[in-house]
Amino acid sequence: MRHPILAALLLTTALTACSGGRQVGNEEYGTDNARERILRGGGVNPTNAGLVVFGVDRNQQTEQGGPGAMRVNAYLWRATLETLSSMPFASVDPFGGVIITDWYSHPTADGERVKVQAYVLGGQLRSDGVRVQVFRQIYRNGQWVDQPASSATNSEMEDRVLAAARELRTQTTASR
Amino acid sequence: MRKILLGTTAVVSAAFGAAVITPAAAQDAPTVRIGGSIQAYYGYINQNGASSNPGGTADFGRTANATPNAATGLGGYTATEFLGTNTTLTGGAAGGLNGVAAPGGAGVSLGVPTATPTGALANTTTGTGIIGTVAAAPSQGSLTNRTITTPLSATGAGAFARSGKNDFLNLPAISVIVSGKAAQGFTYGGQVDLEFNALEGNLTGGNRSSVQRSTAVVGEAYVFVAHERFGQVRMGDEDGVLGGLMNSGFVTNFGTGGVYGVWEQFQIRQSGNRTQTGPGQLGDNTKVIYMSPQFYGFDFGASYAPNGGGFGNGGCPSDTATAGCDRAYAFRGATAWAVAPAGQLGAMARRNEYQLAARYRGSFAGVGVSATAGYVGAGTAYDLSNAGAQVRTMNNLNVWQVGAQATYMGFTLGAAYYQGDYNFFWGNTIRGDRQAQTLNVGASYTSGPFTFGSNMVTGVYEGGGRSDFDAASGRLVRQSNPTAYGDRNNLASQRRWGMSVGANYRLAPGLDLIAEYVYHSVRENGRDLDAARAGIQSRGFANVFIMGSRLAF
Repeated sequence: MRHPILAALLLTTALTACSGGRQVGNEEYGTDNARERILRGGGVNPTNAGLVVFGVDRNQQTEQGGPGAMRVNAYLWRATLETLSSMPFASVDPFGGVIITDWYSHPTADGERVKVQAYVLGGQLRSDGVRVQVFRQIYRNGQWVDQPASSATNSEMEDRVLAAARELRTQTTASR
Repeated sequence: MRKILLGTTAVVSAAFGAAVITPAAAQDAPTVRIGGSIQAYYGYINQNGASSNPGGTADFGRTANATPNAATGLGGYTATEFLGTNTTLTGGAAGGLNGVAAPGGAGVSLGVPTATPTGALANTTTGTGIIGTVAAAPSQGSLTNRTITTPLSATGAGAFARSGKNDFLNLPAISVIVSGKAAQGFTYGGQVDLEFNALEGNLTGGNRSSVQRSTAVVGEAYVFVAHERFGQVRMGDEDGVLGGLMNSGFVTNFGTGGVYGVWEQFQIRQSGNRTQTGPGQLGDNTKVIYMSPQFYGFDFGASYAPNGGGFGNGGCPSDTATAGCDRAYAFRGATAWAVAPAGQLGAMARRNEYQLAARYRGSFAGVGVSATAGYVGAGTAYDLSNAGAQVRTMNNLNVWQVGAQATYMGFTLGAAYYQGDYNFFWGNTIRGDRQAQTLNVGASYTSGPFTFGSNMVTGVYEGGGRSDFDAASGRLVRQSNPTAYGDRNNLASQRRWGMSVGANYRLAPGLDLIAEYVYHSVRENGRDLDAARAGIQSRGFANVFIMGSRLAF
């Protein structure tokens, strides 16, 4: 009867010995607590809700980046970082929600380079919560010349960010 | 010196994992929060068993004792076996069973029955009991899914009633949540839930402890220590890894949870009509839980509880060793506690319960997937014969469960199936009982502030108990074949079926408007599930329509 437990413990120990595990948050476990279920349904982390009677509300601080700071949606922020991760970043401001990449030439597109500015607007996961602006230059006559990027490129980038954000969210909520 | 220290650190790091001795991790003072929820609903209830009739007209499925008890004026019926697991058998009120003490004197409402009532039911006081003449009738040794119902009183005040269909329901709860971070990089915390909605069967103190509805009752109460590399350990009164923490396939994010929602709180549970085999119903009995970090989408969990009792040693601090102490591994009447008896703290025959779960979560082309496979096992307490022999009368708890759900663009679809040796109250089955199967399917759709959903549950369980423990002979005795339609030993399976549709509108984060409809039924061929109606009613059911609001903070 004890063998399954033993096997599970051994397996877990073996896995724990490997690095690369991700900590599972308390909000990723099921619950039959009415309060937690209602809050989770509304997209609120129960650990961060409620009245702080003792200690400091650090979760709020972390989310807001300090008192008075602008709030940036975590899913959109991470999705934007992931989407643009193939390019070098020139400036990243997690509190203001701004990512500016450096000029970047894709290996297959010779003589063309792009620079991307992305803004995560606000704390809600909304389709208009991210704005992406792509700047494009073409190498002509020995110098880089500005060339307008099509507006479809901007919205396509935004769609990619939104899709990545949705994927992150489905991963998190799949356990609810 | 510095070199030596560094070298030592490296060795220790290699041995125990660098994170354990990371000195730079910040130490936070714990943050203590108070949160809670209030649920206020209107319900329209259409169910069987909403009315009971004055004594003498009820039909309990067995032959009436035509002569009411001379001393009490009560009765008119022998105690009969009946599915009404919800019956209150506390003494005192007319209709109760005064003076029937449990062996060991734990004050249980209905004693632990044996085939020879002179043993267990010896303390019956003439003149106060409903079962005026206990002489032959209550041979309900094995109480799988049945107890003795309270025969209706002919004269007692309040003993019979006819019920309306409309009611309000209010379910307040308060939680205290602690969270902090230790210097070594561990996060820690705990939670205590105070509920003011005492529903028998949902409490931790005992699986069927009953208190006044507005009394504060501690629900879950646990402490946890978590580390990003080693996972999390929880200890206290909490669901197990397959008892709610890591299950997949239970879609309850609409209405109040559909068949797993609050509908049970509205109904009169005369037929034992309820959804008892949901994940959370396995119980918050005191346990230790380990849950691993996630590796390549997989995480694992295991939990162990020494018994079915909550708050550690339920019932033990008394002058004598009784069955009420959840540490008892053998006691008279264990067979009868396959289903936790009402009113007892920690009373249950489940022992050494362990749960194992493996869960996978991932995302494929935007479809979030979660799947769980797991096992719940437990031993059982032994029954004691008159001669003091320990007799194994019940099967081990032995349940496999698989479940999966997928989420895409606001749609969620899930299903879970579990099968094995368990009865409808997550108790041990008696040897010879059939295995149980339960299937649950649900779907929901969320669009903006609206969530719509539906879920259903269906299952087959052991119905009439097939065997009783005979303390005199120390043997499990198979019931005789039924002689009449309606006999409890009709060897029928019990089928349960529930379905729901529901919707929420989110007014604000934490504030919902709810509308929901739930139907649930229990059927057992040949068993009378509605005592107040003439004839054998082989079906108990409830239709509950719920509207209202709920708030969490």
